[in-house]
Amino acid sequence: MNAEKKITSTWLLWPALFMLVAFFLVPTLDILRASFFDPEFTTKHFVKLLGSSVYLDVLWRTIKLSIVVSLICAVIGYPISYFIVQRPRKQQIFFLFLIFIPLWMSVLIRSYAWMVVLGREGLFNSILIGLGITDQPVKMLFTTGAVYVAMVQILLPIQIVTCYSAMSEIDLDLIRAARILGAKPWQAIRRVFLPLTLDGTVTGAIIVFMLSMGFFITPALVGGRKDIMMANLIEFQVNQLNWGFAAAISIILLIGTVLSVIIIKRLSKILTRRLVGGGNA
Amino acid sequence: MNKKPFNLSKLILTGYFVVIIFYLTFPIFIIIPISFSNNPFLRFPPSNLGVLWYETYLGDSGWVESTLLSLKVALLACSVSTVIGTMAVLVLERQALRHKSLLTYFITSPIIVPHIFISLGMFIFAIRLGIDDNAITLAFAHATIAFPFVVLIVGASHRQLDPTFERAARVLGAGPVRAFFSAAFPSLLPGIVAAAVFSFFVSFDELIIAEFMMSGQQTLPMRIWADLKLEMRPTIAAVSSILIVVSIVGMGAAELLRRRSIKTLND
Repeated sequence: MNAEKKITSTWLLWPALFMLVAFFLVPTLDILRASFFDPEFTTKHFVKLLGSSVYLDVLWRTIKLSIVVSLICAVIGYPISYFIVQRPRKQQIFFLFLIFIPLWMSVLIRSYAWMVVLGREGLFNSILIGLGITDQPVKMLFTTGAVYVAMVQILLPIQIVTCYSAMSEIDLDLIRAARILGAKPWQAIRRVFLPLTLDGTVTGAIIVFMLSMGFFITPALVGGRKDIMMANLIEFQVNQLNWGFAAAISIILLIGTVLSVIIIKRLSKILTRRLVGGGNA
Repeated sequence: MNKKPFNLSKLILTGYFVVIIFYLTFPIFIIIPISFSNNPFLRFPPSNLGVLWYETYLGDSGWVESTLLSLKVALLACSVSTVIGTMAVLVLERQALRHKSLLTYFITSPIIVPHIFISLGMFIFAIRLGIDDNAITLAFAHATIAFPFVVLIVGASHRQLDPTFERAARVLGAGPVRAFFSAAFPSLLPGIVAAAVFSFFVSFDELIIAEFMMSGQQTLPMRIWADLKLEMRPTIAAVSSILIVVSIVGMGAAELLRRRSIKTLND
């Protein structure tokens, strides 16, 4: 053992731990403290938050939007991952690069891009008016629909890449085997490939869901007044210097996220069992 | 089996793929042509071609200062997270630690927690210590959120290392540090560079922590954000076009390096 000693002293880990404690753990505790002490112990922030239908509406809307966005991403993304994974190796890398390109841009720029496309004098309206389909610009920016279109575009690459890496670990010969044993193409996919890849799909959907829960820039830029989400509420309260209340909202956001993820995982397990079972299990 | 229906479904799938790729990329690339216009407003199709908005960007001291501030913060953040992250990998990948999975979970947790949550925490923390509105604090905050990615990227390329070389260097009399730098480091380098580029962009693009923490100076995303909320001037199209090209070149190179660092050692 000793002769093989490489540089492995644990002190190399200390700066990392120090940074995480100082800039992650302590700040997290600070949020807890700010939400419960003002300066005496109080639950008034949570009472205000959970007692008001306005705030609960925002929470519910955030969860709903995040679920719908992750479902759309999962459904749109699955065939794309399937398409990529069936290509020759070289092509796979090229296609993945195409998927990665939007992922490399900041969310700010991608949201701005949608403002340019959907705006009153934006690309779509220019095309619509140019083709004579309408003579008044159609209101597309600052709508809930715009939030969905932009968020799916922003988060879809993450779903595709996660799902792809799960699929690429599966032996495609299994489908061939199922076909030889007499399964129809659709059966082979539904009974063999889908259950095997559902885990990766759900992982991707959960990542998309968690990211959407904290979304801030896109709803603020392309959404209307009614489209504010939890993160926008937090920012607004911070600007009003209501840090305690902002902290309470963040905690509810975190708890809401974690609970939803647990529920999604449960549901996906039941779903997998249904799919594999399908009568004989 | 007759092959016809299978090819048809393949054709449909290919068409679907093209449509989705278009949906993913066209909004980004539409910005570049419209930025080369001398019109005072965004217009389609772009007419009156010129570089007016690039000149406006480079001639405006506010925009330039914001860009320089973001560059400084991002360089510091990426140096800190890359060095600290690589050091952490050397321990995590080489030592049998107790509670290793718990430790790994802790180290990657800044990725999992909603960004707005960490941002608020860091802000309250910085206020409490009186170190808010400080570029160095901001850089360390950015380094903290970039750090887990460094651990993941460098960790993956470390797993591809062949320990024989380092052992050979040790047997031939090199000290542990020298053995590492001469035998292991060169193979880790592509992964480390990829991680550095990646964390550079995590910091350079980050808006919310900066928005909370900085009151005196504006980073580039803060400036874009402020301008977008007021009015959409084409200056942003010019700035965005520059950022789009820089991101594609930088991140593309980093992704190639990352792939190489996990692949070549294997083949």
